[in-house]
Amino acid sequence: MTSPEHDGVHESQPLSAADVFDAAWEEKVRSAMASTGWNADLAIQAARGALDVLAGGLTEDEFQSRLHDAYLREFGVDLRPRTEEEMEAAALELDTAAGAVALPVVDSRAAAAGEAPVAVTARGASAHPTVSRRTAIAVAGGGIAALMVGDLLGARARQAEAQTPGHGSGHAPTGPTNGAGNGAANGKHKVQMGMVIDLERCDGCLMCVSACKKAYGLQDGVHWLYVLAYKEPDKPNNVNLLVRPCQHCSNAPCVKVCPTGARHRRSDGIVLTNYDVCFGCRYCQVSCPYGVNYFGWEDPKDAGGGFTGERKDGRGKSVIGAPPRGVMGKCIYCPGRQDSIHQEPSTHCSVSCPMGVIHYGDLNDPESEPNRYLNKRVADSGGKLSTFRLLDDLGTRPNVIYIGHRPSRRAEPTANPVKYEDWGLVNERRTVLEGPEPWFKRMFGR
Amino acid sequence: MTEADRTKTILRSIHGRPSRRYYIIMALALLGIIWYGQAYVFQLQNGMIVLGIADWGSSGGIPWGLYVGSFIWWVGIAHGGIIVSAAVRLFRLNTYKPVARLAELLTLIALSVAAFYIVVHLGRPDRVVTSMLRGWPTTVHTSPLAWDVTVITLYFVLTATYLYLTIRADIHSLKMELPRIFSPLYAVLLIGYREDEKKKIEGMAWWLALAVIILAPLFLHGGVIPWLFALLPGQPGWFGAAQGPQFLTIALSSALGGVMIVAYLFRRLYGWEELLDDNVFRGLSRWLALFAMLFLWLQLQKIITGVSIAPDSIHTATRATVSEPLYWLALALVGGALGWFGLQMLFPQLFTVERTVVAAALPVMATLIEKFLFVVEGMMHPVFDLYQGVPGYYTPSWIELSSVVGAISLVVLFFLIVSKVIPVIEVEVEHDE
Repeated sequence: MTSPEHDGVHESQPLSAADVFDAAWEEKVRSAMASTGWNADLAIQAARGALDVLAGGLTEDEFQSRLHDAYLREFGVDLRPRTEEEMEAAALELDTAAGAVALPVVDSRAAAAGEAPVAVTARGASAHPTVSRRTAIAVAGGGIAALMVGDLLGARARQAEAQTPGHGSGHAPTGPTNGAGNGAANGKHKVQMGMVIDLERCDGCLMCVSACKKAYGLQDGVHWLYVLAYKEPDKPNNVNLLVRPCQHCSNAPCVKVCPTGARHRRSDGIVLTNYDVCFGCRYCQVSCPYGVNYFGWEDPKDAGGGFTGERKDGRGKSVIGAPPRGVMGKCIYCPGRQDSIHQEPSTHCSVSCPMGVIHYGDLNDPESEPNRYLNKRVADSGGKLSTFRLLDDLGTRPNVIYIGHRPSRRAEPTANPVKYEDWGLVNERRTVLEGPEPWFKRMFGR
Repeated sequence: MTEADRTKTILRSIHGRPSRRYYIIMALALLGIIWYGQAYVFQLQNGMIVLGIADWGSSGGIPWGLYVGSFIWWVGIAHGGIIVSAAVRLFRLNTYKPVARLAELLTLIALSVAAFYIVVHLGRPDRVVTSMLRGWPTTVHTSPLAWDVTVITLYFVLTATYLYLTIRADIHSLKMELPRIFSPLYAVLLIGYREDEKKKIEGMAWWLALAVIILAPLFLHGGVIPWLFALLPGQPGWFGAAQGPQFLTIALSSALGGVMIVAYLFRRLYGWEELLDDNVFRGLSRWLALFAMLFLWLQLQKIITGVSIAPDSIHTATRATVSEPLYWLALALVGGALGWFGLQMLFPQLFTVERTVVAAALPVMATLIEKFLFVVEGMMHPVFDLYQGVPGYYTPSWIELSSVVGAISLVVLFFLIVSKVIPVIEVEVEHDE
């Protein structure tokens, strides 16, 4: 199979819950719920509402309020927080509980400086590193040389810190449900988050592209996830598709070339940009062979007003949401979702895809969802499945495994089956990057 | 020319009221700086959206442009200076001694302009020092940009130290004749000066010259600057083991051209025909001819290998280069200079300083065009060209174009001021004994 079929292409309307949870699905739910004795209608309504919240069509508030009475009738109580105060109180409660049980974490900076490890709570570690008086005097007294050594140790410590996901957060990922928290600490299993993308199932509807843009308040023309359409010269009638998120390479050129260390790789293999450190030289963008980076050329000015959610991941680093002006951004594999104890590994694009194209999880875990999916596809195809990693001959060790046709060197770009414009998206960002006119043009006209 | 006469001639630039011409040039330079200043403020206020650059890939743009091209160009020019000066000291090329200090000064200001280009090219220039230093111990292991800043800083320190050491004797011997208004500066420059330090200083300067002559060609313009591009996996237009030698020949061509232009302007401004005599220009033009020839020869290597049975992506990138008229303009300018210098060698009666300097200016222009094209074209033809937005397009904005004017104005202003403060030609003649 070299090209997906396009007779099933969706209309250009954004997909709603009704499209995903269709009549057949309803039937399944009803039969499953029958034995429980609970209200199947309420379950269906809740599921649809939840999808609408994800897609951005419904706020969490509206969702909670809409079903409040039904919940009371069914369960007698509704413990879900509804007002903002209630939500804040609930979040605080969760934080306090997590802080109280936080495991002792060794202060890596002190350890690197050759001192006795100091136990601090996970919450305190990143905010107030413990530095003993002896270290302080040694550093101060040593002059430039000591500063250099200190800086080196600091960098090592930062590196070590970057290796600890969830460190410094009340939401430390724990348990086998979460790929990020699983393993790295015990040294047995090295987590590598990644994707299996089944191009043979993709119909190019661009729902993933739109979901990503909405979730992070990305500016027009910024496509952290982008769907390319192309043709091979020997089969000019076939339109092939390539879904292109960041490849989160194990040997990422962008991480290597970054002169500030802002672009880094987390211990779960997610490649991120620290928005508080990046100084916007764009070397990562220049070095990336996939073209996944999108710079903050201006202040966000889209209708959404940019991103208003939590900017920090589990380690307390600013890596989430559209980048501020002057700083580089790209696909982030939704670290907020990975660092939450409430969720299975997933990304906005993977959950929004109606065709089941994107499968996200730990590629090093044979039991992870993407690996199970891949194995099943291999088995179903009788071992004849075409899989590839994009431009892996460049030595980048990308962490997206594609199922489907590998584009040849002679492939040519072509029009997408569903246009970006149909979703109200801008395809080429260059066309909307227009700054204000300088004073002399305003004054003297053209 | 007696030594007293010579000293008097050199001090012409410092003594007396500046001429009208001096003030006019200064006013123009200030205007150029102010013009770019307001352009840069506009860029800071509105973000880098006001530049012509954009993301490559789906966006259809080019993320690096004239700013980066100019950065390499100025680093290249910075070579001229100190290499000429170091060669004078190490190989006793005394013909060029009169331009040695001018050349050192050109190195210092050209490196400063290069650093300035790095800063204006950043999205968050306020973080340049903090972010760079914070990451340096780790980033220096893998980031060519971190190597770059390191080597340029080292180069700047070596050059500044070299200039400082060699200028002390001059300032000491001329102390009475230098303007009193700058005496605090002279006092600082002369801290710890002893009459008998000369021999030791000579030794130190020799070692510095040796360090510079190894560092600059082999590890800066023949090293970290081309590696900034040639080590990346996805841009075949930048790939190539010969990128180092190529960069070096381009740099040396622009550098020698730059030194000749500066020397000529001083000769005109202060009537220094005897100090900066025809032999200086004749000699420098021969060196320039050699580097121009190597420049063209290495371009030939690139084209010949790139357009024949090269791997697909390199083939595409090279084909794009040779179909670009600006590229041929650059080669024609260098070829024109080379042709003229050749004619001058065959028919010495054709030689005039003016003609030589005009010819020397051609490679200087050519190298700016070549550097600009090199940066932009490398991004236009990446290995992964499945995007509809590839090849992207780029037109420098008025701000980026203004920066070229601003940078040249800054260099002019620097020379105007420096020539009033220190002797820009070495007064001490008996260094080598």
